[in-house]
Amino acid sequence: MKAKQDFPAINEREQIGLKAPGEPYRVLIVDDSMFVTKQISQILSSEGFEVVGTAADGGEGVEKYKELFPNVDLVTMDITMPTMDGVTALEKIIEFDKNACVVMISALGKQDLVKKSLIMGAKNYIVKPLDRKKVLERIVMSLSA
Amino acid sequence: MSSEDTSTRSFGRVPGAAIEGTMISRDSERGVEDHTETIDYKMVTFSLGGKDYGIDIMNVKEIAKFHTFTYVPNAPPFVRGVYNLRGDIISIIDLRLMFNLPAEQKDDNQPEDGLIIRMENHMLGVIVDNVARVVGISRRAIQPPHPIFADINLKYISGVVEHESRLYIILDVERIFHRDGGVSERSDPGRTEPDTRPMGQFGGEFPAHATEPQPVTHSRASGDERQVDFEFVRETLATFAGFHASEVNRQWLRRRFEDWRRERESVNKDVQLASTEDAEMFLEPFYSPSTNAFWSEQYVRRFASILPAAEHPSAFTAWNIGCGKGFETYSLALTLRDALPESRLKIWANDNDLLGVSTAPNLVFSAGVVPELFRRYVVAGRNGYSFSHEIRDLIVFEYHDVTNPSAVPEMDLIVVRDVLSFMPVDDQQAVIERIGEKAKPGAIAVLGENERMPVPEIWEPIEQAPSGVYRKVE
Amino acid sequence: MRVEYINPFVESAYSVIQEVLNVEVKRGELYLKSSSIPVLGVAAIVGLAGDVEGRVLFDMTRESALKVANDMLKSMDMDQIDSLNDMGRATITELANMITGQAVTKLHNLGFKFDLTPPAIFTGDNMEVSDPGVEALIVPMEIPQGKIEINVAIRERT
Repeated sequence: MKAKQDFPAINEREQIGLKAPGEPYRVLIVDDSMFVTKQISQILSSEGFEVVGTAADGGEGVEKYKELFPNVDLVTMDITMPTMDGVTALEKIIEFDKNACVVMISALGKQDLVKKSLIMGAKNYIVKPLDRKKVLERIVMSLSA
Repeated sequence: MSSEDTSTRSFGRVPGAAIEGTMISRDSERGVEDHTETIDYKMVTFSLGGKDYGIDIMNVKEIAKFHTFTYVPNAPPFVRGVYNLRGDIISIIDLRLMFNLPAEQKDDNQPEDGLIIRMENHMLGVIVDNVARVVGISRRAIQPPHPIFADINLKYISGVVEHESRLYIILDVERIFHRDGGVSERSDPGRTEPDTRPMGQFGGEFPAHATEPQPVTHSRASGDERQVDFEFVRETLATFAGFHASEVNRQWLRRRFEDWRRERESVNKDVQLASTEDAEMFLEPFYSPSTNAFWSEQYVRRFASILPAAEHPSAFTAWNIGCGKGFETYSLALTLRDALPESRLKIWANDNDLLGVSTAPNLVFSAGVVPELFRRYVVAGRNGYSFSHEIRDLIVFEYHDVTNPSAVPEMDLIVVRDVLSFMPVDDQQAVIERIGEKAKPGAIAVLGENERMPVPEIWEPIEQAPSGVYRKVE
Repeated sequence: MRVEYINPFVESAYSVIQEVLNVEVKRGELYLKSSSIPVLGVAAIVGLAGDVEGRVLFDMTRESALKVANDMLKSMDMDQIDSLNDMGRATITELANMITGQAVTKLHNLGFKFDLTPPAIFTGDNMEVSDPGVEALIVPMEIPQGKIEINVAIRERT
């Protein structure tokens, strides 16, 4: 972190999505809403992250994670999804990889499920509606945790 | 449901509240659909004595010019004669003469403007000044009649409406040529009565010359006349106060009408209700005790006496339909809490007046309005006094129209005081049916003190209980 | 519908639409309706469960939906769409989700436990929604993009 402060400000923006120069963080987005998927991927891509996969429900998310592993650094996981919900998917991902970095995306009014997810091992959470600042802040926090 | 239904329904139980409710739903309709007013009423318009009038097109068979009609001896002046309408002999009435309005005299061979009126049993012709045209309006634009149009007795006016900046007075022909006001009977040769008799119903409204030789006072007192008055009061109660006569309130209404008639005649005032104020005055004795206020201790005791206190049911459900601002519901909750201390209570309360029922869950009042008996449930707050959670948690207040499906469970007690009478008759029936469905066997229903449950097969009055209290037959 | 539920839905609808689309929202008078409800062309529906059962339906015309979706995408620096495609439908659904989510949060704070079920969206001409036996609260709203009608039906589990 110290080193980062020494970089000129002009480069800082491009740094957020990179774990090392030329090496972006790889992200899997699990969300049943195409809108949210697009929104998150647009925010992250603009900061240098690489979206390596998307999934529209929990089951597909778990499968994609296993496929991508170990070439995935971060998962954004919607809580409310049909077929398999995000909390169950989180549980299965953590079972498979206890170091997985999962950020929960929650609608308002889901405090109980958010708490449950954090206890189960989610690194952080973001409550919708999403905005650029909130998304980047929470994701950077969970990557550096 | 048509917008008309909703706009006339109201659960208000105080004078004024009914009207208020009506306004709210009207406004809401307006806010919702952009109101391109639908034309659902057509009338044939004409003039009489310089004013514009209309008659429902459903009552007009055709617009006619009367060329020659046959004079009938001994008829009142407004009966101009009979006319041969393609083989049917119909009477011709001059509306101007009938209502004592100026009529320009025409030469005998000049045709008269007129309409052929069709009623349930017969037809007749009316002569007017100028038949204008057919005008289409929205029924909702029709206003109740107002004494300002007193050229013609209000009872023959079904309403007034403004259209293209002209004010039309809509005549109620069914009422003017009431039933066996059958002009056809006029020609009955067996009839020996003076020629005004067949039209006796309106004798009192006519200028003396029109009713000669029958003295005006006689027809005034006739049973028919009284019936017409009653019918008219009945209808104006609906217009001005949203009060709809039915089996639920007929007994009271009859009794009240006789009292009202005496009261009004003793002070030399018209029996008819000409305004909202009149209607409110008429309805004043209708309302049950402690309306729109917390129940008095006396009423609480009376109410508690009808409860199955000895049985101590483990759970007890109550439904308060038309709860308004909640005064009645809280009174009911407090009464039940004290009368059935062991029971698990739940009260569903609803009203379709959003403004009223919105304030109910957090009703705030001033100290002193709650009977001594219940002071222990009152807590002081920043803005005034309210009830403790012990009481508030017993009640679910809902914005709900009981004519729509209700999701409430089966009930032990249903309190619906002075609510049915303020719904259109069809809705009353639907709600009575719903109450029957939602009542457990042996359940108690509390109507207004001047209301009756019209289905004796299901509901029996409880002996020694105040009137309006019923038990569902088990 | 329980009186306490009304304001959270009305306020959330008002504030979310105003915030997300940055427009002035005109509110119509609320009213109750049962029987079938014609759908204007696009209807997003969010289910409710928990202490209650019910659903919230967001209804607007296709034209309004497209305008709303584009304005919403624009406010989030996302690409515009030229027809109500999958992305457009997802955007409207998200708006419905945001409104309902905020309402449910407000209700949580009042002590009522509601759960959201994943939303669905329907588009088509001459559609009608009919839930026999359900009375719905209608919350009409007018925005420059057109009319949005929110139809809330909630009943207590008894």
